[in-house]
Amino acid sequence: MSTGLRIPDAALAALEGLINRYLALDPEGAHRLGTLQGRVFLIEVSGFGTPIYLIPGRNSIQLYGEYAGEPDCTLRGSPAALARLGLSSHREDQLFGGEVQVEGETDLAQALGELLGGIEVDWEEQLSRLVGDPIAHQVGSGLRSAERWGRHSAETLTRNLGEYLQEEARLLPSRNEIDAFLDDVDRLRDDVERLAARVARIARLRGDTGGER
Amino acid sequence: MSDHKTTHFGYQQVPAEEKASRVRAVFDSVADRYDLMNDLMSLGIHRLWKRTAVSLAGVRRGQRVLDLASGTGDLAERFAAIVGAEGEVVVTDINAAMLERGRSRLTDTGLAGNLRYAQIDAERLPFPDAYFDCITIGFGLRNVTHKQRALDEMYRVLKPGGRALVLEFSHPGNPALQKAYDLYSFTVLPTLGRLVAGDAASYRYLAESIRMHPDQETLRAMMEQAGFERCEYFNLTGGVVAIHRGYRL
Repeated sequence: MSTGLRIPDAALAALEGLINRYLALDPEGAHRLGTLQGRVFLIEVSGFGTPIYLIPGRNSIQLYGEYAGEPDCTLRGSPAALARLGLSSHREDQLFGGEVQVEGETDLAQALGELLGGIEVDWEEQLSRLVGDPIAHQVGSGLRSAERWGRHSAETLTRNLGEYLQEEARLLPSRNEIDAFLDDVDRLRDDVERLAARVARIARLRGDTGGER
Repeated sequence: MSDHKTTHFGYQQVPAEEKASRVRAVFDSVADRYDLMNDLMSLGIHRLWKRTAVSLAGVRRGQRVLDLASGTGDLAERFAAIVGAEGEVVVTDINAAMLERGRSRLTDTGLAGNLRYAQIDAERLPFPDAYFDCITIGFGLRNVTHKQRALDEMYRVLKPGGRALVLEFSHPGNPALQKAYDLYSFTVLPTLGRLVAGDAASYRYLAESIRMHPDQETLRAMMEQAGFERCEYFNLTGGVVAIHRGYRL
């Protein structure tokens, strides 16, 4: 059993309740958890050594600070890497890029990441239960166009800001300048390696002719 | 008076054959408000005690679990989610009212398919030898007339490699805590019982039965006598509650 900073059981119980309430908002997504039902995952937050045992049920999960017996799959990583595993759309990067270490049945880790990342709450549907379909739909379309506008603005802003920093303020280098700089670094590295080889050869030659240091 | 003829019912001595019916009367009386009373009595901590029991049970997908004295089915609910469709959880109680309440509650939470229900006496388990991977009894053993007989039965129906867990009120080691706990259970508890469930006597019985229950070491010795191995106990909340675990090897 793992040792390390334990999360108080009351806090885990509360977290479990929160996650299950969130899962309940996407019943179809949560239902896919059933494929992993009863598998014991050990999630170890590196740096703290904090163990969390996660056991999926049919449409909910259970969390424990310890669990008798061996886990089917252990995930070990920094808090940020573990969070990205659940949230990002490129989970392979975290799993195979070495950010998250996986022991045991690795396909289970992949499946868990996909399931948790695949939970999508239909907020419009949730809202419609409170205020009815017509209003919920209006609010939904409003939010969607706001999101589109937001994304478009963000892209434009990023591009404009990039141009300003590179061309006007000259605070950041442009792509070409970076490439040239990287080429210089490569050349310098090769030169240093050649020089090192040369020094080594000379040293060996002096050694062969009987010279001591 | 010989030990065979009488047994304790709280602090009273009653004929052994009467205890079961008296316990039944207590639970008939409290069944409706049992969950609410548990929350009030333990300040909600009983949920954490049950979580700990589940984590110590270490049940896996596909296993067969017997939950004795299930009451409203808090343990069974967690086990059913873990064992999945290939597993099975047998939910039991000696009291029909409690069992019915548990069944309604579990069905209402959408749990069905891998749950079985049986009204049975823990002293006489209607199951073949070596049948279950895990057996739990949560806050039930102290109400059983012949506790040793119940432990013997649990051992009999357990598969080799299986484990039994007894979650039960126990005896706090710390004298100060013991004093506070006594005050709470003999003054606050019956009052709560009267106000919430309209039945002070039943809750006085609960408090008394906790005091008459064997302490940690005695219960461990009883489990060993039944044949369990690697017996150990875990004190929770300063020993107010203890979880005993033993394996059939």
